[in-house]
Amino acid sequence: MNLLGLDTSTAATAACLLRSGGEAFEVIPSASDLTAPPAHTRELMPALARVLGDAGLGFADLDAVAAGIGPGTFTGLRIGIATARALAAARGLPLHPVSSLAALAAGADAPLVLAAIDARRGEVFAALHDEAGERWVPFVVRPELLAERLRESALTPLAVGDGAVRYRGELEAAGARIPPDDSPRHVVRALAVCRLAARVAPVAPQAVVPHYLRMPDAVPEPQTRRP
Amino acid sequence: MILALETSCDDTCAAVVTSAGEVRSNVVASQGLLHERYGGVVPEIASRRHLELVDAVTSDALERAEVALDEIDQVAATRGPGLIGALLVGVSSAKALAAARGLPLVPVDHLHGHVVASTLGHDPIEPPYLCLVASGGHTFLARVDEPSSYRVLGQTLDDAAGEAFDKGARLLGLGYPGGPAIDRLARAGDPTAFDFPRSLPGGREDGAHLDFSFSGLKTSLLYRVRELGSEEAERRRPHLAASYQRAIVDALAARTEQALDQEGLDRLGLGGGVAANSELRRRAEELSVTRGVSLWAPELALCTDNAAMIAAAARFLEPLPYPEYLALDASARPATPPTTAAA
Ligand SMILES: [Zn+2]
Repeated sequence: MNLLGLDTSTAATAACLLRSGGEAFEVIPSASDLTAPPAHTRELMPALARVLGDAGLGFADLDAVAAGIGPGTFTGLRIGIATARALAAARGLPLHPVSSLAALAAGADAPLVLAAIDARRGEVFAALHDEAGERWVPFVVRPELLAERLRESALTPLAVGDGAVRYRGELEAAGARIPPDDSPRHVVRALAVCRLAARVAPVAPQAVVPHYLRMPDAVPEPQTRRP
Repeated sequence: MILALETSCDDTCAAVVTSAGEVRSNVVASQGLLHERYGGVVPEIASRRHLELVDAVTSDALERAEVALDEIDQVAATRGPGLIGALLVGVSSAKALAAARGLPLVPVDHLHGHVVASTLGHDPIEPPYLCLVASGGHTFLARVDEPSSYRVLGQTLDDAAGEAFDKGARLLGLGYPGGPAIDRLARAGDPTAFDFPRSLPGGREDGAHLDFSFSGLKTSLLYRVRELGSEEAERRRPHLAASYQRAIVDALAARTEQALDQEGLDRLGLGGGVAANSELRRRAEELSVTRGVSLWAPELALCTDNAAMIAAAARFLEPLPYPEYLALDASARPATPPTTAAA
């Protein structure tokens, strides 16, 4: 069993090839990638080809694909999901959609994790995970409201993700513990996506769409460009 | 056999075309209605819709062509110009599809696709020829000596012709897209009832006066509608539409004729959604009769945005073998800046 996993929900690009024996070949983003300009189109396919190459495999050897479906950056998610869907469709493989927040929480390796991905415009995508799974389902929220909810719950989770880094002040004041900015625990790892895939039933590739959690801005192009 | 994807604006397109230029399938999932209520294309909505549709449209194109993925030799995709978020869906999908099958990939310039749409089918246009491409996003005249490239002789300095139709339609209280609405209404109107300016910008140092400008025309319609007052404008709407349309088509026809002269060409191809305009088609046919020019006005499905034209361009380009294209990015701007220098 060769499972290819990816995540593009943040500015970073993550890829992993997980073999049934548990052997993993991974492109692990660094925490500094989270604040760099996103380059998913340039990075994703090379990263996937690299983890396959490291494992001595090709696309034809794959048995399944797993993709982080967000919430997260819209364009990044579309690039990742379009890629995962086309790979799965072109090779007739099952595709497992995985929550990027769940993968972020799983990678943090703590009993109680607040996963927070920067949603821009002064908001974060957040979810709370304990060992049993999702305790707070993913939602989009202003950091001060997230802090309030945290305070009310009297919980002191480990908070990770670029959202936790960005709103460190608010969240720490509400009781969250946050690793240093450069900690690898802030990135979504594709290995976590692969591991979580086992718990998610595969979906027809063309039915996999991003978990946007936010309505699109209904603002037309200033110049009605129809090329 | 080429499988092509095109997602540069608001239509999700896939096509299968043979290396000889036979169109085996040309599927377009239009998002027009989705954007209609906003009076223009909403990039985020377009991108979301592309992702929802791209795989279904691709498999539909293969199915209609009665071709298995195994029989595809090349994948092509529009690299730009267009809405970046929309382009990225097609580029990502095409790269993954090609890589998964170990196939080469051909990145295609969307405008190049329009320019060579007439090379498809059993009566292909042969270079050298002039191509007038007019759509909602672009309006330009190109000279084609080799189908692998084109040279822009003149282009719009402001609005595209299709944009002028859209904006005019809005001023007249018609729907979006404006081209078909104005075309329909104009049939009942007198194109000489109102005198709108035919702006033909000129005076460039190199002597090339082949550019277009449509923004003044739109302003002039705005003033005319105000002058008339809403009731009178409403009553004379068919005349306004016919005269406005005539002014746009006059400018397109005048520049086309001038370019044919300047370049000494006797073959003319049309491209872009505005090529569906009945007045423009009539004028192009008139031009071909009076000047002895051979005219290629492809069926509408090949004029509006489509993937068959992207495959058409791919036929003349060097494909990138696996894995050279893995890091390929989309580009919102034209791949090669249009050259407007006259020969
Ligand atoms: Zn176009």
